[in-house]
Amino acid sequence: MKRSILTAMAAAALVWSTAGTARLAAQSGTPAAKAPRTADGHPDLSGVWWRGADVGGKLPGGGSITAPAGGRGATPPPTFVNLYSPSAAAKAKTLSDKDDPALGCTNTAFGTLNVSLFDVGAVGQIVQTPKFLIMLTETYNSFQIIPIDGRPRRDAVPPSNRGDGIGHWEGDTLVVDKTNFTDTSWIYAEGRVSFHSDALHMVERYRRVDSNTLEIEATLEDPKVLTKPWVVPKQTLVLAPFDQIMELACSNETQSLIEGASKQAPGK
Amino acid sequence: MKRTFLAVLAAALGALVTGVPAWAHHSFAAAYDTTNAITVHGVISQVLLRNPHSWFVIDVKDASGKIEQWSFEAGTPSGMIRNGYKPDIIKQGAEVTIKGFRARDASQNRGMLRELTTADGKSYGMFGPQEGPGK
Repeated sequence: MKRSILTAMAAAALVWSTAGTARLAAQSGTPAAKAPRTADGHPDLSGVWWRGADVGGKLPGGGSITAPAGGRGATPPPTFVNLYSPSAAAKAKTLSDKDDPALGCTNTAFGTLNVSLFDVGAVGQIVQTPKFLIMLTETYNSFQIIPIDGRPRRDAVPPSNRGDGIGHWEGDTLVVDKTNFTDTSWIYAEGRVSFHSDALHMVERYRRVDSNTLEIEATLEDPKVLTKPWVVPKQTLVLAPFDQIMELACSNETQSLIEGASKQAPGK
Repeated sequence: MKRTFLAVLAAALGALVTGVPAWAHHSFAAAYDTTNAITVHGVISQVLLRNPHSWFVIDVKDASGKIEQWSFEAGTPSGMIRNGYKPDIIKQGAEVTIKGFRARDASQNRGMLRELTTADGKSYGMFGPQEGPGK
């Protein structure tokens, strides 16, 4: 019963997220301006992006951004973990929310809202230069520097929790290809078991469809743990009404609560 | 004794089922028991609008007059501010009622904030007044 409720909630959230553009456009009543371009002619993806509100805030079209179903064994479809191989699924059963690396301030490999720009939060900023797309993530203060000037991928860097990305333009779409991940981060946070391997490969496609709208498509493959690539539902972000993100540093200040809980109820 | 001032609503309130925005960037469920709802009434002794999460510290008086301090974890300061929360909106000494979920570690007087209501009846959620979007 509970599982069916969770599944319905997750499905509703998914429908909401993919219908965002239509709802926002219908509300404004006026067509948005064309996407701005940089001096080299490419679309300029710069800006602070979100879904129209921060966590807990009311969205322009109604509703609010709340936590995805997670923790304590709940897993909303369709997700990365739905595609686990039998051995990966068996391993997942040995893990729980208290194993979430994010509890120790480790970034996710992807993002809780299926947007890597957000990581574990709901807001991110892009700064585009002729050489780089710089992705600044508010929550956990992380960054990714994506070369977009045609250079080859660098090879002398250690694996990282968020991977190493290289970008190129296909028309007006920026394609970002990320490899070289550690195997210590999870795909999501919020206690949703979602480990991956060091073979994780992520391809994201960014398209600024107008001045206020950024669409992102992504495909994640991980042949060591998945049976086939996960095609992420298209995510639609809107330009935030502010042009600077804040600091949202991480600390594991609730660690004593978690450790205390484990002592009182071992294994739970 | 605690029952004289602490209403423990031992109902099966799952955070997911009730739609509580338990967004912690990690799992709140690992630290807080969302089936153990509590309501506490007292006086604000400290408001910590800080990273990574804000805290409301409240002095609670029991029937014998003894003061016990409770701390409730709220949302991120950035999210609260964008949702309309002002840093000085709730001051030290303000009388409040806080509804939340108790820490799994029952040895600590801590909880996850669901709703804070001031004496004039204004309510704030985990992420502030939730008037968003803000700035």
